[in-house]
Amino acid sequence: MSPVPSTEKLPPTGSVKAGRFDNFLPPAALSVAVLIIWEAAIRLFHIPTFVLPAPTAIVASLIENRAPLAAASKATAIEVLFGFVLAAIVGVVVALVIVRFERFGRALYPLIVLFQNVPKVALAPIVILWFGYDLAPKVVLIVVIAFFPVTIDMMAGLQSVDPSFVSLMRSVGASDGKILMRVRIPHSLPHLIAGLKVAITFSVIGAIVGEFAGANEGLGYVIQFASTQLDTPQIFAALIVVSVLGLLFYYVVEYAERLLVPWAPKFDPVHGNG
Amino acid sequence: MIPVAAAATVAANANEPGRSADLAPAHISAHGITVDFTLGGHRQRVLENIDLSVPKGSLVSLIGPSGCGKSTLLKVLSGLITPDSGDVSVDGVRPQEAAKTRKIGLVFQDATLLPWKNAIENAAFLLATADETIKPSDAMSRAAAMLRLVGLEGAEKKGPSQLSGGMRQRVAIARALALDPEVLLMDEPFGALDAITREEMRECLLDIWERTGKTVVLVTHSIDEAISLSCEVHVMCTSPARIIETIPIALPYPRTEECHTDPVFLAARARLRSLLIESHNRGQA
Repeated sequence: MSPVPSTEKLPPTGSVKAGRFDNFLPPAALSVAVLIIWEAAIRLFHIPTFVLPAPTAIVASLIENRAPLAAASKATAIEVLFGFVLAAIVGVVVALVIVRFERFGRALYPLIVLFQNVPKVALAPIVILWFGYDLAPKVVLIVVIAFFPVTIDMMAGLQSVDPSFVSLMRSVGASDGKILMRVRIPHSLPHLIAGLKVAITFSVIGAIVGEFAGANEGLGYVIQFASTQLDTPQIFAALIVVSVLGLLFYYVVEYAERLLVPWAPKFDPVHGNG
Repeated sequence: MIPVAAAATVAANANEPGRSADLAPAHISAHGITVDFTLGGHRQRVLENIDLSVPKGSLVSLIGPSGCGKSTLLKVLSGLITPDSGDVSVDGVRPQEAAKTRKIGLVFQDATLLPWKNAIENAAFLLATADETIKPSDAMSRAAAMLRLVGLEGAEKKGPSQLSGGMRQRVAIARALALDPEVLLMDEPFGALDAITREEMRECLLDIWERTGKTVVLVTHSIDEAISLSCEVHVMCTSPARIIETIPIALPYPRTEECHTDPVFLAARARLRSLLIESHNRGQA
């Protein structure tokens, strides 16, 4: 028996750490530069605060309104959480139904694509009309906006299994259901996570749209209320909070990816796909 | 239930050197196999009237130009394609029946390992799928025995991305052997490997075959691979796809590097070359 050849050496870990710092520094430096120019321009040209507030005014508003902003964040976060989880479930179920029941899927899929072309923002007033001013209409709106990328990516994952795997499973008499459970679904997980990353971003948009259309709490409500008061610094403060909230949710999904699908290829924005 | 390492305990002398192929009863037999594919509304004959008989415990090769239907024939033998006409039997039953009782082990050109499972889990995977009643620990110990048989001891916990191409293909072979199949059907199993690894894998396959006594059908387009491994080589040609000649390779096992200069080897190579060139040219015409 021939000896087992040794595996290829992995690159040294030292370069990874240096790389991370190099990745962080340029965008941070650029951000600081932009903020300084922004502040200077406001002071130099005496731009009124209600048109464009200076970064320092935004920070002041952020500190001053921290209690209402925190309460609004909580309301929006709950909407995003419920909406996202439901969107993920609906998205996965729709994908499984389309792939598993091929005939029904062929009827359903074009309808879903058609529905996808309806601008969801335009649906907000109807959803408010049907479901009231509470959590329900926001969750419905989020599901309607965010399930589609989950369905599309999950379907791509289920269908992109190497035909050799299917042959292999059939060669031991495995049924379609077994092939779905043991090969197709695990194979689709990295694709599913990619869909979830898009869905979580859409979920935040959905929550804000829902709050614009009709709400008495949440960050979208704060933004709309502040705009009626011409309190532009608070609009910007709320925008910052929304962005940070979205970013946090996004990283939760990315963390879940590392735990659930450690075999998935990692995307490195600087050095390409690794 | 499969006795652990049953395959490894099969007497090595099951393959006595120089045994004549036609003494053993046919383990795989095909009569008058015809397969048509419909491509873009256009019906095309892929296999025409193929007769094939593979003696029990022998290693035979199917060789022919690309697109001649070798892989299709292998799919017919494994029950993945039902022929439009003709009869196939594997170990006395239809291929679909044989598949359900784990009589067929398949190996493809790509190792097709599941990326979320390590080497031993991949080797155990198909057995656990085929046999719902097997205890996971039994499947794993059987997989471990098969990994030892293919020379992968110590690499059990490595993921597919940590294994070289040759090692991945060894895992794929171990996965097929874990089923303890009656026949091993291999579709260009070493086609994607570099020359040196390919040599290694040929030795590995011969070693496994001599130790387990499985019936092996190997699809290849390498003349040297076909001659140095097989008891018999079936030469196929295109338009219409059929077996034009069966060449017995009367070289004793175990075969070593020296047999490449044996007059029998050289004669077989010359004959195969001229047949393949002929069928290649016919395919071009």
